[in-house]
Amino acid sequence: MKVTVLRLALLAALLAAWELAGRAANPLLAVPPSAVVPALRDLLLLRSYPRLPASLWLTVREIGVAYALAVAAGLGCGFALGMNRLLGRAWGPMIAALYAVPAVVWYPSLMLFFGLDAASKIAFGFLLGFFPITLAVLAGVRQVNPQLVLVARAYGAGVVTVFFRVMLPSMLFTLVGGLRTGLALSVIGVVVGEILGAKDGMGALINHAYGLLRTGDYVALVLVTLAIVVGSDVLASLLERRARRWSE
Amino acid sequence: MVPATIIRLLQLATVLAGLAAWELAARSAWVDPLFIPAPSAVARALAAISGPALAGLADTLAKTAAAYVLSVVLGVSAGVAVGSVRLLRDVLSPYVIALYGMPKILVLPWIVLLLGYGTAPAVFYGTLHGLFPILVLVTGAVRDVDRTLVTVARSLGATPWQLYWKVLLPAIVPSVLAGMRLGIVFCLLGVLVVEMFAGVRGMGYVMGSLANGFQAPELFAATALVSATSIAIVLGLDQLNERLSRWRG
Repeated sequence: MKVTVLRLALLAALLAAWELAGRAANPLLAVPPSAVVPALRDLLLLRSYPRLPASLWLTVREIGVAYALAVAAGLGCGFALGMNRLLGRAWGPMIAALYAVPAVVWYPSLMLFFGLDAASKIAFGFLLGFFPITLAVLAGVRQVNPQLVLVARAYGAGVVTVFFRVMLPSMLFTLVGGLRTGLALSVIGVVVGEILGAKDGMGALINHAYGLLRTGDYVALVLVTLAIVVGSDVLASLLERRARRWSE
Repeated sequence: MVPATIIRLLQLATVLAGLAAWELAARSAWVDPLFIPAPSAVARALAAISGPALAGLADTLAKTAAAYVLSVVLGVSAGVAVGSVRLLRDVLSPYVIALYGMPKILVLPWIVLLLGYGTAPAVFYGTLHGLFPILVLVTGAVRDVDRTLVTVARSLGATPWQLYWKVLLPAIVPSVLAGMRLGIVFCLLGVLVVEMFAGVRGMGYVMGSLANGFQAPELFAATALVSATSIAIVLGLDQLNERLSRWRG
């Protein structure tokens, strides 16, 4: 209770300090909260950017496609590498080493290859989401007790039954965690791609507002984009809870 | 168990087979060399751009080093403070988690507006990226320090200074090192993003302009250079980490 009050008080104090400092310094650059509120209202009423719904929808679609591809490829690669010990031991560390490269180095190549449209953002979101999912599946497969699999097989369980009854429950925690991280990273990949250069989508609107020094609109657009980020994470955490309940 | 040599050979074979297939695909024009140049063309391009690319890389690494030092110093000290004061931890942790998870690129235009082009926004943004993983790891490590150790040290009359220096710090070293390993990649990422978004120098800027100029072989060469550097830095830190842990026993 006390903690919640203090948390809110801190937020209020920060907003107040921002407001005061922003007004005293340069309201155009510092964008105090009082400048954001009307901008956000205009934005949501589609006065400042009538293209908002279409752009928002495009960004959400890019995230959806990127994530779907990342899940499909990540599960496929992860299980393929996890089931095959030799390949897993050889390629697992190589994938982990690629994970040590700041992913944004791939973006210029993707932009060159896929152009400024949605494809390059989808490719980047896919790339970011793919690695954690693959690595989580790999780690998850290793967590499965091989004796349980052996016993189940010995009692006549088929491959499908073994997969759903033995393997999936014991690797579920890791797998779901990886899927959640993958979603967060796919979202970040799409957003980063859009801001580094896009013709449409939330990133293009943000760059437009920033380029014209419409700073109030810029902050409002950022808040709307953050809503997508937070929304996707809330959705993921609900699904995660569901999956955990199923496994128990 | 397959011996490690076989694994190494298999890894080498994978890389060579990949390069050979790529070379073949580019030579026989299955892929457009305008977009996907052959490895041999990339190697030639690497020689051609090595001058400006190395200068750009040096610039990027200098900014990354500055951001990294700031991230480690701020991250560890804030982590120790937040981790050891219960109230601070309870109040701040949701904010820290939220800031850690949020796509920081959304505030990048604002940072560039406030700090201008050049070194300052890159160092600031790199720090913003590197700080949070270190902060989160160190906070957790301080929180999980064995209470018994602290109680024993206190009852034996340790001063607060001794408590931090002799009990807390040795206990959190593994987490600090883990944070430092994560942090370096994040710092480099942040610096590269700023250079791509609003750079006037540095590797991110070089890569961005190569992409805009459709110079695919040069771009691939630059990408390979940055990737190899990053992997080398992380492997170096791993090595250091291993030495340290052997030394600690």
